Formats: sequence, structure tokens, C-alpha cells
Amino acid sequence: MSFRVLVIPEDPTYNGYILQPLVERMLSELGKPNAHVTILTNPKLNGYPHAVRAIRGDLIDRYSHLDLWLFLPDGDRTGDLTPLETELGEQGIHLFCCAAQPEVEAWLLAGHRDRLSVPWQQVRGHRRLKEDVFEPFLTEFGDARSPGGGRERLIRETLANYRGLLSVCPELAQLENRLRAFLSRST
Amino acid sequence: MIEQISIKNFKSFKDVSVKLGPLNIFIGPNASGKSNFFDALRVLQGIGYGFTLHEILDGKPKSVTSEIWEGIRGGSAQVGFAFENGDKPTSLQVTGEVRREANASFHLAISFIAGKGRFGEEVLSLAGDNIYHAQAEGATTPFPRVTYFTDEGRRGSFDADQTCPVLTQVARELDRRVEPVVHTLADMQRTDPSPALLRAYSKAYEIKRMGEQGENFAALIRMICSDPGTKEAYLTWLRELRPREVDDVGVLKGALGEPMLMMKEGDREWPAPVLSDGTLRFAAIAAAFFQPDMPGIMTIEEIENGIHASRLRLLVELLRNRAAEGKTQVIVTTHSPLVLAWLKPEEYATTFYCKRDEETGESHIVPLNEIPRFQEIVSKQPISDLFAEGWMEAAL
Repeated sequence: MSFRVLVIPEDPTYNGYILQPLVERMLSELGKPNAHVTILTNPKLNGYPHAVRAIRGDLIDRYSHLDLWLFLPDGDRTGDLTPLETELGEQGIHLFCCAAQPEVEAWLLAGHRDRLSVPWQQVRGHRRLKEDVFEPFLTEFGDARSPGGGRERLIRETLANYRGLLSVCPELAQLENRLRAFLSRST
Repeated sequence: MIEQISIKNFKSFKDVSVKLGPLNIFIGPNASGKSNFFDALRVLQGIGYGFTLHEILDGKPKSVTSEIWEGIRGGSAQVGFAFENGDKPTSLQVTGEVRREANASFHLAISFIAGKGRFGEEVLSLAGDNIYHAQAEGATTPFPRVTYFTDEGRRGSFDADQTCPVLTQVARELDRRVEPVVHTLADMQRTDPSPALLRAYSKAYEIKRMGEQGENFAALIRMICSDPGTKEAYLTWLRELRPREVDDVGVLKGALGEPMLMMKEGDREWPAPVLSDGTLRFAAIAAAFFQPDMPGIMTIEEIENGIHASRLRLLVELLRNRAAEGKTQVIVTTHSPLVLAWLKPEEYATTFYCKRDEETGESHIVPLNEIPRFQEIVSKQPISDLFAEGWMEAAL
């Protein structure tokens, strides 16, 4: 039986194109190349509060049998997620949260820093990253004919330098470390 | 692009009018009128081809100048409104924008009596100008008299062949302005890929458009793969359908060089005959949106056939993505609640519920956002549940 992971995004429609290859790659680096990664699509989450409600509610019955849950929201509106992890842990669910700084799109952009119109430090603190930086980038370098407007290809290009991604997005490096420790404990 | 179609006395339609958008989805129970609407589109396409009325309705064998044309279901005997006696004319009215000239709208009204094999009154206006008005002078008149208006405003008249649409006669003989309207009607593609054909070698090596049932699918794949950018865009859809299982796509060659689809996983090649029906069908539908010669209108019935429920999100995105490009208007039917679940609220205006009236038998076509209380209920309940439990049918 493969290692089964549930990924909970804030927006399954477009974030899934970024998160699925990213999580698969991270698990592969951690010795789980055949992990089965499911992006949550039902309920269709609509923002951070909805996601947290679902995690505390319906998802427990439906997905408690999976080996690992990853909640990967945008960091610009999230608070401290440790209590949520503890709360789910008490119910036997291995939940790891990692908030993207400032939004999930930054993880894709990390591999394309030389093509961005703003310095990387500004990207990390941008208040309107999606609208002002990511969408113009996607229009220029994505492909409107592809799923997600080309997100899938662009994140794969980013993942070609996976270590580079972790070096400029420390929250992902931290997640990888936590998962490594979790996996070593559970084997 | 066709913006509005009005249909009178045609199969289960007594009098309906539908406003279309770039992406249009028809839903409803079996025998509610969805396929009859597609038959009306088929009639309009036959009009664009300039076939005789009998050919349009009953079909046309292959000739040296044309491929086989399948008539509509039931042929000419089943055309008139099914729930009234009498020989009332069938009427189709189309409003749209011609594809080749920006801002040139047209309105075509055309009527015919199927059993007699004759067209009746026909009127065309284009960019606000009256182009012609054809009208039979009495039931026994063999030819309709056509009055036409030139672009200098002069009038002329001629006797038309009543068995064929006046539209194409005018386009051929009198007025090239009409040609884009003819093209708009004729340039429809029905896509109903058959896995058996998709598994076969293509007869052609290079094509610009695939056959309705997927004829020459592999030749289309060969064309798509000849352009690296197009190939990559196409391949990303296949990768999303079968994550980790499709690394590449291409063709294998038969003894004479004829192509057959092949997908690659690592170094292993999977030729079309070993691929599942659903994979092949999705691959063909996606490929249809990357044809070198895209149709103005693409119709697909029961789009979800063979495609796993968890991949229907991808299918909806494919349709939305390609319709948004503006080259091709997409018109589909589905029975899947999950297809509806992935629609955006702004797409409800061009998602149509078809329903047969229990008393009169006539079909109605209603946009979802015009169903009483729909907007209120759908904000609280999943649209997929409303559809599956028959809420929409009961609300109309």
C-alpha cells in the first residue's frame, strides 16, 4: 500500500496545479516516490476560514484513514496553525500546516526569479502578489492553452532546482524537515 | 459565433429561443430535447453546406465532391412538431456574428416544410443591411421569388431552386457578402470519438481537422506534435488526466508510415490499442481543441462518457479554457452532476436545462439562472445534488 497524503489547498482549482507536483517531489526526496497524493476537491474550499472549518468538521470522518494531511494555505491571512495541528493530532490525524509566504504562487515564482519584474524580497512581502506579480507573469510565460494557464509546466521548471526552491522559501525547508522527522518516527 | 437560435415546430420544440455564449452546456433527463437541439444545429450546418432539404434531413451518400453527410435522427418524417397534427412549416432563426469580420452581425430566418422537401420564406440581414427576402407565391409555386438588395441599395430578383437554401444560392451567384454567414453555419464540427477508430492507424498522414468519430486521430496527433509549443500544451492535459503515467505523446508508424497514437511512460511505449476507452476519448476531445483548422462551433454529446469522476474537473477546465480563446464556440450535453459542480456561477446563464412538458409534450430550454429560486438555493446547496435529485425538473 502506498503512502497516502491529503493536500488541503485554499483554492483547489488553481493551487492544485502547483501543490500536487510540489508535494510529490518533496515526498520523493524523503523516500516516498510512490506516495499517493490527493488534492482535496470536495468540498470545494473557498478561502482560509472555509478550509479550517472543513478540517475541523467533515474531513475528519472522510479522510482520517490517510497517513498524512497537509494544509497549505496562503500565509497572508493565516494565524498560528500549531493549535490546529495539536487539535487534529489529539484525534489521531497527522496534520502538518505550512503557510506560503505570502501566497502559494510564490512557490512557483521561486524558480523564475530572473524573469520577475520585482526583487525576490519584495515578492515575499507583497500584499497583492496574485494580482500584481503572478498574473502578469503567467500571461507572459504561461500558456493559456494549458491546464491552469501553464502553472503545471512552470512549477515543474521550478522543481528542476528543488534545493534552490527550499533555499528561498524557508517555510518549505521547514516543512520538509518536519516531514523527515515524522517519516523516520513512523518507520 | 451564434448568439441566439429560435426554433419553431421542430421535433419536440413548438417554440423555443436560446441565447448562447462561448461555452454552452445542455442538461436534462433522457428524451427532454437536448439531442433535438443538436439536430437543429445539424440542419443549420446542412443549410450552410447548401444541400437540398432532403439531403440535410435524410442524409447524403459520399460523392466525388463531398463526404458522407448523416441526416438528422428520424429523417424528414420526424421533423415537424411531434405533438400537433398538420403540416405547419418549421422555422429556424439565427442571430450571430460572422467570424471573419468583426462587428458584423447577421440575422437569418428560414422556414421549410420537411414532408414537401421545399424551403419557404427566407430572410437575411447582415451588418444592418437587408440582403434578400425570398418568399414562395402560393403553395403551388415551384420556385420562391427572391428579392435581393445590392450593397449600392439596388434591388433585383430571381427565381430560386426551392429545394435548396436561398442563402447558398445567393452566396454562389450574386453576393459575396453572404459568404461569411454561409461559413459560420457550415463551420460546425460534431465530435463523437469512437475508441475503435482512435485505436486504428490513420489513413491520412497530415490533416487539419479530425473526423467526427475520430477518423485520422493519429494524423492529428502527428500534426500537433510537429509544433513543440502546441505539443507541450496538449501534453499537459494528458499529464493531468493520468499523472505520472504520461511523459510523452507521439505516433508509431505502420508498414506504410501510417500513424498510430502512442503515449510514453518513461521508456515504455503504450500504443493506442492498449489504452483505455476513457483515456482515448479524453485524448481525442483534447486534440480536437488543438486542430490546425479549428471549427467555429464544436458540439460534443455526453462529454463525460468514459472519463473518471475525479477527472471531470479537468474536462470542464478544458472546455472553458478553449472556449475562452474565442476561436471556437463550444456546445455540449452532459448527464453528470459533477460536471455542473465545477461550473462557475457566471456560466449558469449558458447552462441550459431541457424539460418536456408532461401535458403538451413540448420541450422547453431554460438557462439555470432563470429557474425560479435557483440563485437562492444554489448558494446554499451543491448544484450537483440539486441536479441529481431532480430539483431543477421539479422547479420548472
